[in-house]
Amino acid sequence: MTYTQPDAIAAITRAIRTEQNYVFAAGLAGAFLRGAGRRRAVNQLAEHRARLQANAVLVDPSDVPATPPGFTPESPITNPKTARSALAALSNTLVGVYADVASVTEGADRATAIAWAQASARDAVRWGVASQAFPT
Amino acid sequence: MEIPGGPIGARPLARRRVLLGAIAAPVLGATAVALGACGSDEPPPEAVDVDPSPTVEKSEALLDELALVGAYEGTLAIYPELRGSLAGITDQHRAHARELGATEADFTDLAPIPPKAADAREAITNLISRERRAAEQRAQTAEQSESAEQVRAFTFIAASESSHVPELRDIRSGVSRS
Repeated sequence: MTYTQPDAIAAITRAIRTEQNYVFAAGLAGAFLRGAGRRRAVNQLAEHRARLQANAVLVDPSDVPATPPGFTPESPITNPKTARSALAALSNTLVGVYADVASVTEGADRATAIAWAQASARDAVRWGVASQAFPT
Repeated sequence: MEIPGGPIGARPLARRRVLLGAIAAPVLGATAVALGACGSDEPPPEAVDVDPSPTVEKSEALLDELALVGAYEGTLAIYPELRGSLAGITDQHRAHARELGATEADFTDLAPIPPKAADAREAITNLISRERRAAEQRAQTAEQSESAEQVRAFTFIAASESSHVPELRDIRSGVSRS
């Protein structure tokens, strides 16, 4: 289904932008991580690219934001600790992003957004932060 | 604690909003009965019983959140050594319950649910099962909700409860077998 309401387009394009940032961050973080953390970051690259593609088909192609040439994390990723904390923060951001997407979509699209909000909240905990009542 | 607002105009969700549907029916019903008996050419109306403080029926989700708080409190009563690990998650369930309309009296009246477990590890395993089930139920409620605000609220709660599963697994891995 293609969503044309402005609030739906806003929520879905925000999801695309945040996923673009996540893909950049996971790539950057992967360079500083070792072992299971590195494997998780690499696996998440594919997973979040797939989400990008799935989100892109929900809006008109002209509304899909172009992939930016680069990404500046909110705090620098310079070592394993900052790599994990950046991915945890972005994962929690994605919970709110997908809660918004869920609220403006329906049917299978809504179910998918809810599932991705849940997966993102689990990812945040796996990247080392405590759970939250309302993850942000 | 309130649900964070998003950039698309979603406002923090006051608990009365989630409850609006549940409150509206009994209040409007009582008003309709009272007004229906008022007419200028009619004999004085018979007394009608209007509850001055109509009881708000608790939703299934709220009852389940209260049961989760009870399950954590029951576990902490038997295994107080887990307090440092589980108190934060218990508080999150209280926040979820408040968002769904719980009052402080609900928490005061709450009876701890003792775990059916041989040791602390098994008690945590039971909590993991409860969290997994709760996360699925909240997700289903979000899928079926009609208002955007309810969808947001239940998605946040479903996500939070889903994140408790890996957190509890970490806690369990640090608890020695008895």
